[in-house]
Amino acid sequence: MTGAIQSLIRPARGGPAILLALLLTAGVALAQSIVFPKLTGRIVDEAGLLNASQRNEITSRLAALEAKTTDQVVVVTLRSLSGHSIEDYGVQLGRHWQVGQKGKNNGIILLVAPNERKVRIEVGYGLEGTLPDAVASLIIQNSILPRFKANDMPGGIRRGVEDIIQVLTGDAEEWKRRALARSPSREPSWGLVIMLTLFGGIFALIFLQMMRDLGVAMGIIPKKRKGIWRTLDYVTSSSGSSGYSSGSSSSGGFSGGGGSFGGGGSSGSW
Amino acid sequence: MPIASVCLRALIVTLALGLLVAGCGINAIPTQEEKAKAGWSEVLNQYQRRSDLIPNLVETVKGFAQQERDVLTAVVEARAKATQVRVDVSTITDPEAFKRFQEAQSALSGAIGRLLAVAEAYPQLRSNQNFLTLQAQLEGTENRIAVARRDYIEAVRLYNTELRTVPGVIWAMLLYRNNKAMETFTISEEQMRTPRVRFN
Repeated sequence: MTGAIQSLIRPARGGPAILLALLLTAGVALAQSIVFPKLTGRIVDEAGLLNASQRNEITSRLAALEAKTTDQVVVVTLRSLSGHSIEDYGVQLGRHWQVGQKGKNNGIILLVAPNERKVRIEVGYGLEGTLPDAVASLIIQNSILPRFKANDMPGGIRRGVEDIIQVLTGDAEEWKRRALARSPSREPSWGLVIMLTLFGGIFALIFLQMMRDLGVAMGIIPKKRKGIWRTLDYVTSSSGSSGYSSGSSSSGGFSGGGGSFGGGGSSGSW
Repeated sequence: MPIASVCLRALIVTLALGLLVAGCGINAIPTQEEKAKAGWSEVLNQYQRRSDLIPNLVETVKGFAQQERDVLTAVVEARAKATQVRVDVSTITDPEAFKRFQEAQSALSGAIGRLLAVAEAYPQLRSNQNFLTLQAQLEGTENRIAVARRDYIEAVRLYNTELRTVPGVIWAMLLYRNNKAMETFTISEEQMRTPRVRFN
């Protein structure tokens, strides 16, 4: 038996330890079964705190930020935390949506849960130096919470986003360095690769058929369609009519860049 | 040689090679071992980060609550003790060393919790900007410790499972005889976490 299981069963600790261990495991299992909202855009306003014009204004600012620095900032308002702590929810949501660029992990989520009256700024691994916990705490305490307490939810969210953008773009040298570090090449999507392979295969077959026809016309290849040539004919004749429906992955919308989160950031409540 | 048996042999050899190349899990053990070790480094990293915040915290509290000497000393001593416990990669396969490490960190958590509880009684301290900054940093670090622990526990679970289930157990017997199961945290997160003191 492994050491872990041994220590669980050790009688000196008894029932409470096993219960705690079970609770911890249950907590982990439970945590992985949260149903997250879909990442439909830079603002996921499940709780309906913002109107359309406010959403558009903030979205355009966040899009401009990503264009400048590749940092991805997402605003989420939740109807309920489903019993989880906002810290747990935040880090798992960040990992699920993969906000931020892969490798750089430069994502931030502004999470507002009006039902539980909690707010959190979740900071990805890569931005923990630029937006440290203390600064996130300052933004929450000085910019967001006073407005939330005065029941000005849109104002609090907008001000919070402005402050985050300011901190991220604050240092001109930093900003320039990060923009230059942005990799010019983009990873090809797998859908595209599969499509190309399939098309390549179909074209190869058509090409073979053409060569065969040419050979027949030139008298090199016998006209009898036997064996593999029969199969070839069948495939090429049917491929002409097969409509390959390409499933487009994104209709030009926003999606996470593959970033990850480690639990950095700060929370507040009102 | 008849064609059928040649073909059959070729087929068998191809299948065997295919299995070998695909690995059938031959790479799973070292891959997951490295992942678990990386997870362990991250856990140590975060505990170290918490340890680094403490001197500043003690100084700040001392400035306002000098009479709380017992609590302050307790924190300093708990931190010294936690720093003395030698921890490295070998700790994760050594049950005794792992237990010592867990207990030292747990004691430090308790001492920090008591210090924060005591600080609540000093309004000047509570509104001090330095203290508020430290409090935010401490909370952030505790959260990061929790996340690092969860990631580590998951990585160890996968590794230990691989060592004990087929085909991992076969590869372990053949190639990885020295690999031992890794330890995981048994003291629950709730006990390790310092209590959150909210100043409204």
